[in-house]
Amino acid sequence: MAEHVVADADALPEGGRLVVELEGFEIGVFNLDGDYCAYLNWCPHQGAPCCEGTITGKYTADFDPETLETTHDWIREGEFLYCPWHAWEFDLKTGDCTTNDAYSLPSFSAREENGNVVVSIP
Amino acid sequence: MASQQTTSPSGPIAKSTVIDVDVHLGGAIDYEDVAQYLGEPHRRRLLNHSGPSPLPWSGWDRNSGGKIDSEPHTIADAHELDERLCREFGVDYPVLNPMSWIPRLPETKFAIELAHGYNQVLLNDFLDEYDHFYGTVTIPTQDPEWAAEEIDRLGDEDQIVGIYIATGGPDKPLGDPKYDVMYQAAQDNDLAVVYHGHVDAFLTDFPRQNQALEEYVSVNALGHPWSQMLTMTSLIEQGTPEKFSDLDFVFLEAGLLWAPYMTYRLNKEHSMQPNASPLLEKSPEEYVRDQFYFGTQPLEEPLDASQMKLVFELLGPESILFASDFPHWDFDNPSTIVQTIRKNLDDEAFETVLNENARAVFGIDS
Repeated sequence: MAEHVVADADALPEGGRLVVELEGFEIGVFNLDGDYCAYLNWCPHQGAPCCEGTITGKYTADFDPETLETTHDWIREGEFLYCPWHAWEFDLKTGDCTTNDAYSLPSFSAREENGNVVVSIP
Repeated sequence: MASQQTTSPSGPIAKSTVIDVDVHLGGAIDYEDVAQYLGEPHRRRLLNHSGPSPLPWSGWDRNSGGKIDSEPHTIADAHELDERLCREFGVDYPVLNPMSWIPRLPETKFAIELAHGYNQVLLNDFLDEYDHFYGTVTIPTQDPEWAAEEIDRLGDEDQIVGIYIATGGPDKPLGDPKYDVMYQAAQDNDLAVVYHGHVDAFLTDFPRQNQALEEYVSVNALGHPWSQMLTMTSLIEQGTPEKFSDLDFVFLEAGLLWAPYMTYRLNKEHSMQPNASPLLEKSPEEYVRDQFYFGTQPLEEPLDASQMKLVFELLGPESILFASDFPHWDFDNPSTIVQTIRKNLDDEAFETVLNENARAVFGIDS
């Protein structure tokens, strides 16, 4: 296990992102409302630099079988990552692809310690 | 950084020679670049058009709701193409086409001028730049005789390896004898014929082209699967099986193999555009496997009968219902088809297809 200071915490504010190179891997580090997460900058779909994609919310829908009406909602703004190539959608909290359970972004432990953002490489 | 990262985990395709037969110049060719080869009044039209494009353009969202940037999906010139596709991705020989939907244009003279312009840009700005680039001659199907002349003009170019036809447009389907002169020219010049579908034509052309088919054999062959593909796609798009999770959906008279093909395609599309169908809670394939059923008739007839096994495997016996279409002229003789099914399935799967699925779907007791 190797631990790397990747930035001052001030350099990665809430909603922010960094892409850093650690031990030959490009890794995206994200600050989600104070919770840090880090993923390999490599889309499991076709190898794109997914951590550089758009971060936004997700469109959801709910169908009421009584009224046959569908209502829509835009949820969790800032918590979904969209790959820049094919717009594959990943939940930043888990790294999971939202449309295919078989795919997740390889993740790394990330935390704040003594004013620094630290990423652990196993 | 991004460019290195795109290849470093898996590396460029270095194991053997790679020829990529569908490489679009698309945005790499500015209308200004083409216009220099056009005569008037067409040049001025191209340079001074109104709206976003001088060519028919559907305007559909191609950026997944603004979540992806269009810039990485275009190239500026031959050098960027070589750098990104050949050096980074490891493609040795790209076969280029300008991705211009010329067959859709109603004006024949303008179509001819444009095709000529694109062909000149392909030659001068791309093929002349790199010996490992190859290209295809853009064809205006509106005038097959002119197309044949253009093919003859360019056929001797070492790096021209085919003719490129965007399918669609208001003209007759591409097997019509009026195109024979064009195909003859391609054959005489030892060039391949390349067809490329496109989404804009889909919106307007296919009803016309369906009606322009020459014989009923084609209508019968295409009508069923096309309409069923449309139906399946719409159901998935709108989340209908999610809304009505107790419903079973049965598709008849299109055979079987279209279903796995379309299912896999919808998987891919949904992965790229999940917000277009926000009701979906699982992959299109899971809805198909859980709620969609497919009648056997007209059962596919590969020359190698053993390939039927694969057809049954792809779809899975749990999704297949025996169907004959009796008494229509193109019905499947039940005794023959049952034997075919018997040959390809084990005892349990055979019963599943012959009766158990239908029992469950239609609530038939026996």
